Parts: sequence; structure tokens; C-alpha cells
Amino acid sequence: MIDSKLYLDKNKTVMFGIFENPDKFLETVGKVHGKGPNILDCYTPFPVHGIEKAMGLKRSLLPIGAFMFGCLGFVTAFLLQFYMMRYDWVMVIGNKPSIGVSWMPVLFELSVLFTAFGLAFLFFLRNKLLHGKMPSERIDLRQTDDRMIIAVATDNASIERSELTSMLFDGGAVEVKERTNHDYDDYTDVEVKRDNSNS
Amino acid sequence: MIHDSIIRPQLVTGDKTLHDVTTEICRPIENKPSTEWKVGFTLAVIFLGILGLTLTVTMLMGIGTWGLNKTVQWGWDITNFVFWVGIGHAGTLISAILLLFRQKWRMSINRSAEAMTIFAVMCAAVFPLFHQGRLWVGMYWVLPLPNAFGSLWVNFHSPLLWDVFAITTYFSVSLVFWYLGLIPDIATVRDRAKTAGRKFWYNFFSMGWTGSVRTWNRYEVVSLILAGISTPLVLSVHTIVSMDFATSVVPGWHTTIFPPYFVAGAIFSGFGMVLTLLVIARKVMNYQDYITIGHLEAMCKVVMLTGTMVGLAYITEFFVAAYSGVEYEQYAFINRATGPYWWAYWSMMTCNLIAPQVFWFKWARTTPWFIFMLSIVVNVGMWFERFVIIVTSLHREYLPSGWVMYSPTMVEIGIFLGTFGLFFTCFFLFAKFLPVINMSEVKSILKNRE
Repeated sequence: MIDSKLYLDKNKTVMFGIFENPDKFLETVGKVHGKGPNILDCYTPFPVHGIEKAMGLKRSLLPIGAFMFGCLGFVTAFLLQFYMMRYDWVMVIGNKPSIGVSWMPVLFELSVLFTAFGLAFLFFLRNKLLHGKMPSERIDLRQTDDRMIIAVATDNASIERSELTSMLFDGGAVEVKERTNHDYDDYTDVEVKRDNSNS
Repeated sequence: MIHDSIIRPQLVTGDKTLHDVTTEICRPIENKPSTEWKVGFTLAVIFLGILGLTLTVTMLMGIGTWGLNKTVQWGWDITNFVFWVGIGHAGTLISAILLLFRQKWRMSINRSAEAMTIFAVMCAAVFPLFHQGRLWVGMYWVLPLPNAFGSLWVNFHSPLLWDVFAITTYFSVSLVFWYLGLIPDIATVRDRAKTAGRKFWYNFFSMGWTGSVRTWNRYEVVSLILAGISTPLVLSVHTIVSMDFATSVVPGWHTTIFPPYFVAGAIFSGFGMVLTLLVIARKVMNYQDYITIGHLEAMCKVVMLTGTMVGLAYITEFFVAAYSGVEYEQYAFINRATGPYWWAYWSMMTCNLIAPQVFWFKWARTTPWFIFMLSIVVNVGMWFERFVIIVTSLHREYLPSGWVMYSPTMVEIGIFLGTFGLFFTCFFLFAKFLPVINMSEVKSILKNRE
């Protein structure tokens, strides 16, 4: 369930293909993934339509979590009103029953409130987002501007390094580089040329 | 691959590249504030000062400084409350409902519209809090908290309490939705930041966003779910606000048409305010390529539709009052049209029912200065609608011995004008420090048409 984040893997070498064109990027991702499960992650400045399928990402379980939080909100609202209007101090207002349709607005509102906050909390937790945290993978400052990046583990069984390099360049990558992680925030970047040599 | 239509107008004109989008939308954040911004912000802060002053006077000297009396217990205070809450609804409609309907034209306007919602709800909250008179107790008496009175709980049968839950939920959920949408764009600004201060703050609020597709995947799921829950939320909030009136026995208020009438009216007034803001913003900030005439036209169509729905509600109310034979209900409407507040009623009718009909004409929908003027007309008309509903019904209720006139005091007028100061101060700060247009969404539709 836990993603293999690049910064966590010491001494692991990862190859990045940096693209300018979203369509070519998407096609290359599909081709690389077609060789086998080897893509660690992709980085895009905007959600590219169809990339989850190209990368073989599984469906998120967040909706289930959201639903559970919604149910929690509903139960909380019910218990709140039950305790206050029916159990602790019953007040007959306008001859309306203690438990009745007038509870619906608060039941609905608290369900929505709990769903929204619960979902946001789960989203931050799942993506390891936290206020003040530095971005864990920064390959190129333009990855939030106009560059799309594919990150592939070089030591994998499905694709040879040379084949991967040519696939990236043929697919339209403007830059390919390799990064070796030594520790958190400590890495070495090496540019890979088209003829597979390093600079 | 997204199918490109060759018939429909482009959503983003000017042959922009991804980098163009980044630089143009980050420009107001990275450059020094323009003269227009400084002038606007100064004026807004002055009005905010007026708000602070008038609210202080109200708290120190009491609700007697307002023009309310025993007959007209709700006047400008609740008129303004409903006015601001209504304005907030357009933002959620654009963000949430148009997302569910896959209307890509929402992408360049949803962030400013959602910001408008948050600021409008903040302005709205001023009124129920302060109109209680003693804010220092009133602000927690509405909450279901244990207290020293045995405990004495709140009344869950009352729409006034439903309002507390609804408005709080609406504000919170809108804030969450807005902030989540902002994270990727704050990351973009973070990666372009040059000074230490900017780097720190934009890094703080971007929460370590990297643009990872796994994160984007979950982000889209979250957006869809939040849109899905925000849609019934926006409908429920203004329904609950309308129940503040509809669940009473006051003639002119006690009608079942209020919930859909208020919701349509809220969307109508909200889009009016969105148009007011965006026609100016696109001109001043040079965003005509992002907020195109096509966008303005689509919003005008929504204004016309909801304005017609509101007009239909007026006619229905009148018809049912006449058909019912209930003389109090019938008098309520005769009084509205011919009584001492006739000028407010006919302003409302002209501005809300008649004026938006000009949007049947394409010229009207595609001329920015005319759209701006009509949007002001809509805002004024919808303010008058709430005034007419509240004051004309209250000032002449069942007992003629209780009939009085109501007029606002300078303090009430000051509070209302001051809320515009609060709204625009927040909006100017938003425009200066955050990207007004959703960069990541706009980048995803660069070559798309509607």
C-alpha cells in the first residue's frame, strides 16, 4: 500500500524522462508501462487525462473513507439531537415530536461536514502532505510549470537501461537524467545522452 | 485523448503555451501591486474601517442604534444576511455543480468564484452574530454546548439553529474545497519564488506538493466527491435560510415556494456578483484570453435562466395568494405593490424579472460594459427582493394596530457598506497573493473547446 518514494530508497538509481508535450508524454508512459511494472511515478503540472490508466494505477480507496466519515457524521448528528431533544431535557415545541423530520437538516449538514473534513484529512495523510513540508521529489523546478516527468527505476527486470533511454528520447523527451539517492535530500544527478553515455 | 470540437469557441484563446499560463497568472503575485490595486485596496480598507466602527457602536450602545422596532424586528440586518449568503452560492455552483456537469468553461473562473463564496459567507456571518445584540454571549449560545442552566440545550426544531449548522458547514466545506484546489498552484508559485519570505510561506501552504500523478489521481477523486457533496449542500443551505421565513406564520412568508425560490434567487444574485467582479478583473488584470467573452456569455445565460425562475416564483406567489382566498396573504401582496414600500417592490420586479430578459439578445450577452451594468442591476434587484420580503411583510402583519414604518439608521447603513469593505479587502488580498485563475485546470484544457 505504501508507495516507494524516491527519497526513501538509498543508493537506488532512478531515471527521469522530462517532456514538454503532454500527448507524447502520455504515449511514452503507456509504452514504458507496457513493458512491465517499472514506473515509480510521474510528475505533471496538471492532471493529464488518461495517465492513470497508462501507468496502471489502481482506483483510490478514498471514496470508501469519505463514506465512512459521512456515516460517522450522520451518527454523531443523530446522537447529538437524540441526547439533547429526547433524553436529557425533552422540550415540546409547537407540539412537534421530539424525534422527527425537523432533525433532517442537522443530520444532513453534519454528514457533509464530517465527509469533507474527513476526506481532506485522509487525502493529506495518504499523500503525506503536511504544512511546511518540503517537496520530497524535486526533479526539475519546472515540474509544476510546464514539464512532465516520468520516473523509472533503472534496476528492474522488465526493461533494459539502454532500451529505456531510447524509448524516452524517441517518445519526445527533451531531457533524460539519472539520479542516485544517497540519503534524504542528498542525491547525485547525471544527465543521460541519447547515445546512452552520461555527461 | 480529448475530442476537439471545431465548432465551439476555444476556452483559452491566444495560442498559449503551458509556460505562458504560469507566467501570466503568476504575474500579479510576483510583481509590485498595480496602481489600480492600491487604489481599490485603500478604498476597501476604509470601508472595512467603517464596519469596525459601526459594529463597535452597536456592541457598546446596543441594537437601539438600529432602526428595528417591535413590529419590524428584522430589517436591514437579515436583508443583508440573506443577500450575502445568496451571493456565496454562485461560487459553489461554478466549482461543484459545473464540475459534475463536466462544463470545462468553469475552469478559469472557479477559483475567484469560490473565493467570492468564502468572503461573502464571512460578510453574511456578521449579521446573525451581531444582530443578537450581545455578541459575547450570543456567539456561543447558538452552539449545542453544556451550560450551567441544567443544561439548557438549543432547539433543533428551529430553522434558526439549522442555519447555524448549515452556514458553518457551508463555510467550512467551501474553504476546504477552495484550499485543496489551491495547493497545486501554490506549489507552482513556490517553485518560482525568489525571496526567502515567499519561499517560506508558499512552501508552508503548498504542503510539499510535487505534482506526483498518484497524488493528482487522488486529488481528482477528492474534487469529485467534494463537488458531489457540495451540490446538495448549496441547495440545502439556502433552503434552510428560506425556512427562517417559510416556517413562520407571517403573511407573505408562509409559503412552500420559498425553498426553490430562494435557491434560484441565490444563484441569480451570486452570478450577478461574479459577473461584476470578473468583468472588471479580466480587464484590469488582462485575462481576456482566459475569461473570454464565451465565459461571460455562459454566465449571462445562467443569470437569465435563474432570473426568469425568480420571476416565475413572484408570479406564483401572487397567484396562490389570490387563489387561496386568504385575505392576509392577499393584502400582503397588495401592500407590496401599492403600499408605502411600492418603490422597493417595483425596483425588485424591474431589476429581477424584466431586466435580465435583455440577455435573450446575443449583443447583450457579449458586450462586457453592458454585462457589468446589468450585473449591478441584478445585485440591486436581489437586495431589494430580500428587503421587500422581510420588511413589507413584517411592517403590516395581522394586527393593524401594530403597523409601523421602518427605516435604517446610519449605523445600519454603515454596517452594510462596511461589509462591502470586508468583502473587497479580502478579494484584493486574494488577488495579490494567490493565483486568481486555476493554473493547473487551465493548462489541462489549453487546446480544448467547450
